Amino acid sequence: MKRRDFLKISAIGGAAFTIEGCRDHGTQFIRFIPEETLVPGVAVWRPGVCNQCSAGCGLQVKVMQGDAEVVRNGQPGLIKMGLPKKLEGNPQHPVNHGKLCARGQAGLQVTYNPDRIQQPLKRTGERGNGQFVQIGWDEAIESLVAHLTPLASEQSPRALAFLTRPLTGQRRTLVERFLSGFTSAQMASFEPFDDSVLREANQLSFGYRQLPTFDLARSNYVISFGADFLGTWNSPVAQNVGYGTMRQGRSGNRGKFVQIECRMSQTGANADEWISARTGTEGHLALALAHVILKEHLVKVESAGIAGSRIDGWRTGLPDYSPDAVASKTGVAPEIITRLAREIATTGPGVVIVGGAPLAQTNGLFTALAVNVLNELLGSVGRPGGLFFSPALPLGESNRSSASVVEPKLISVRSLAEQILSIHGPQAIKLLFVNGANPVFAAPPGWGVREALDKVPFIVSFGNFMDETSKLADLILPDHSYLESWMDDVPESGTLEAVLSIAPPAMLPLHETRALPDLLLDVARRLGGQASKALPWKSYEEMLQATFTPLRHSPGSVAADTDEEFWGKLKEQGGWWSINRGAPRKSSSPVGSFTPVKSEDPTWDGPATEYPFQFLPYVSQQFLDGTHANLPWMQELPEVLSTAIWSSWVEINPQTAARLAIKQGDLLELSSQHGKLRAPAWLSPGIAPDVLAMPVGQGHEEYGRYATGRGANPFQILAKQMETATGSLAWASTRVRVARVGVGDLILFSGGPTELDEEKLRR
Amino acid sequence: MDIGPGLNRSDRTGGASNNGKSPPGDRLRRYSRPMMFILIAAVLGGSLWAGVARVRKEALLRSSAFIQNSTDSVSPPSSAFTPAHASFSDALREYLGLQSTPVQPIAFNHKIHIQKQHMECTGCHSGAPLGPDAGIPSVTFCMACHQVIAAQNPEIKKLAAYAAKGQDVPWQRVYWFYPDKHVRFWHSPHIRAGVACSECHGDVSQQTVAVRSKDLTMNFCLNCHWAKGVSVDCTTCHY
Repeated sequence: MKRRDFLKISAIGGAAFTIEGCRDHGTQFIRFIPEETLVPGVAVWRPGVCNQCSAGCGLQVKVMQGDAEVVRNGQPGLIKMGLPKKLEGNPQHPVNHGKLCARGQAGLQVTYNPDRIQQPLKRTGERGNGQFVQIGWDEAIESLVAHLTPLASEQSPRALAFLTRPLTGQRRTLVERFLSGFTSAQMASFEPFDDSVLREANQLSFGYRQLPTFDLARSNYVISFGADFLGTWNSPVAQNVGYGTMRQGRSGNRGKFVQIECRMSQTGANADEWISARTGTEGHLALALAHVILKEHLVKVESAGIAGSRIDGWRTGLPDYSPDAVASKTGVAPEIITRLAREIATTGPGVVIVGGAPLAQTNGLFTALAVNVLNELLGSVGRPGGLFFSPALPLGESNRSSASVVEPKLISVRSLAEQILSIHGPQAIKLLFVNGANPVFAAPPGWGVREALDKVPFIVSFGNFMDETSKLADLILPDHSYLESWMDDVPESGTLEAVLSIAPPAMLPLHETRALPDLLLDVARRLGGQASKALPWKSYEEMLQATFTPLRHSPGSVAADTDEEFWGKLKEQGGWWSINRGAPRKSSSPVGSFTPVKSEDPTWDGPATEYPFQFLPYVSQQFLDGTHANLPWMQELPEVLSTAIWSSWVEINPQTAARLAIKQGDLLELSSQHGKLRAPAWLSPGIAPDVLAMPVGQGHEEYGRYATGRGANPFQILAKQMETATGSLAWASTRVRVARVGVGDLILFSGGPTELDEEKLRR
Repeated sequence: MDIGPGLNRSDRTGGASNNGKSPPGDRLRRYSRPMMFILIAAVLGGSLWAGVARVRKEALLRSSAFIQNSTDSVSPPSSAFTPAHASFSDALREYLGLQSTPVQPIAFNHKIHIQKQHMECTGCHSGAPLGPDAGIPSVTFCMACHQVIAAQNPEIKKLAAYAAKGQDVPWQRVYWFYPDKHVRFWHSPHIRAGVACSECHGDVSQQTVAVRSKDLTMNFCLNCHWAKGVSVDCTTCHY
């Protein structure tokens, strides 16, 4: 046929297909019956409590009706439900004042993450192979109860252990009471970057085993030893808000901020003066400042109280800590020390902060006590512009029910692993609960956590996600995400008033998960015995209501005439905070006799001749300790100083790099006495020549599609060295050596490839 | 015209001439009959194909298996916005602004509910005075009455079957806009302004199953906006 005829026929034939027309628009899905009705298209704002770090900020959750793709009873389909679309800070909340950090914003991705465990799982293959089958809740709970019943009734002490991320609020109380049904049950709280050294120092110096709250808004001089208080440390948003007021909220007065550390952190980049000092010598530096202040009578010599008595030589004016004596040890010139001391003492009010790597040394307690003494000397403790301790809720002991509850024995993860590996027979741990803790990833290999978990007969995990530790479980009973849960928290720091954050779920559960507190209440009821006696409530909501309704009688942000009205208003506001700034919470352990600390130098793991560099794994802004590596927004968030994303890298001083012929992006191999890792180099002028730093959080072997197999994990080469007094992990005390092993994976920078990288691409 | 020796008219015209060929209009006449047959065959074939597709789809509808759109892919369509179309005919239909008549799972009878039961529009479509979307009630709302009322009617039995299975009725939209027109329509300001439902949706009380009685083109909206002196700025509706 002719070409034109072919074209004509094709056109008409094609048009004919469109005329058939009667095709349905849209897709046909099974729709489940909605369980809540919202006005479509109109947002409602509900209160919430953020769970992305331990600060306990208050949230506002924007909820709108939407279609969610869910699975119910094995059947996929759609359901109309109220879905959180945006998180913001609660403007009235005293911790964050309406602000929210990047991790808090990414909380949506915890709920909507495609890698969430949606249903109970039971292990089918060998432990560690990651082979699981989905089971129903009835079967799952029956299995759990069947495993627990012999442990509750027989007198087998220490058969049950609970490994968890640090629990706060009534969740902790509930777990403690649950464990009281089992003889000598143990609870291990795991937090890789915990601040137990600082809490111990505060206990010794001031009587409060608690993280401090800094009144930066009214401060005129801030010295921070290594604390990333604007990024990740303590209560970052509260500190940011205070810092903002200090710098821009008081007309004409910007105060002065000095940061002293060996690697420039995000916080340090804001400082007016940034001073490099050797890690582990910050205590000496603080005492040198104190020495100058005492010698030159720059402040009225007041009794430094208990804090002073912790330091040897206090009464004689700290003779061992003159600026000249500490200059070579710390790497800070005596003139600078003298000047700083004069400045902070005469520019009041001033406050000194310490946290992070300086306390993660073997002499961490010495450093913390030294800084406490300096604060006491400056008169900053309990005074405006200084440091405070958040008050306790005015609840007293009324929340304890009549049944006497034996608190479970608290144990460190390190000791737990040792115990599992060493004790066999009837005294061995038979069942381990894992709740949001991932020590297989985040603990030094020397602790033997992986080997220990292999030996436990039955492991139950409540995690939302399959991570390295949950992969070893036999039964996974997924908890709700925090936006789907009743949340309550009493923030440890960040406010000058007593605060309770509490909020109902902002959404119905997306998947077939169950809230951990309600699950434990259910299991306790089925077990009977002591566990059910200690947990008389039918639901977690009931427990919270019973516990917190007595706050109605204290003057606070919620006023009501009846208990029901109070509870209703409390739920709407997202929390309760006191009007009066009450007494700080008293610590429970007595201030016993304590030998004053003498000058203590840090000890390092690995001889300096073979391992010439100090290794500094730092808490990353995006992932903290690796928990948020599975949130793509956090992977995409540029690290503040390097702008690197989706990557792992080693920070190295440019002069050191030149000496070792290392160029930007070269693949390095870092070896410690305990392991090796490989990561590309990033040349940073903000790091001391003998320090190598690396952000923590990448290098997961199992953590969903965004995090698995990406980058390197600094934890795997850490020594298990402990801070000598408290036994907490001295994570900054490992030494490493470095070798260039080739042109490596490029670090992805959010600004796009630089010229240097393009050259490498061509190579 | 004499164009010189040795040159033919056909050379001037590059070889195309009418010498020995029929005049141009004649070709159409000659091919018109076969073209007509081909056209009819194509239309019939197309309708047959469409009919088969619809029967297959309705069979799927009746079954309780997981239902897909007519591209028959197994995975659910992504809810991410994309201007891409599933097929060429989809794209062509959108270009021409064609909207098909939906097939409803249950033959809901507006006439009975409005005329006999005197229900108001917003009794079921309660979102209209409140927000953008008027909404459709869930099956629990319908069953509140129909657990008892007319329970023997075959359509009500279908409704009860959905409720018993724990499923909501998969109603199909009758009034909608193509997503890449980026037009957003809010019911509530219109209700607030006193626009009657029937102005845009016609006299629904005469309809059994809802059919689109008016084509809501931009012109339709603009006419009323001009008449009432309301904003016709682009970003009033497109944002």
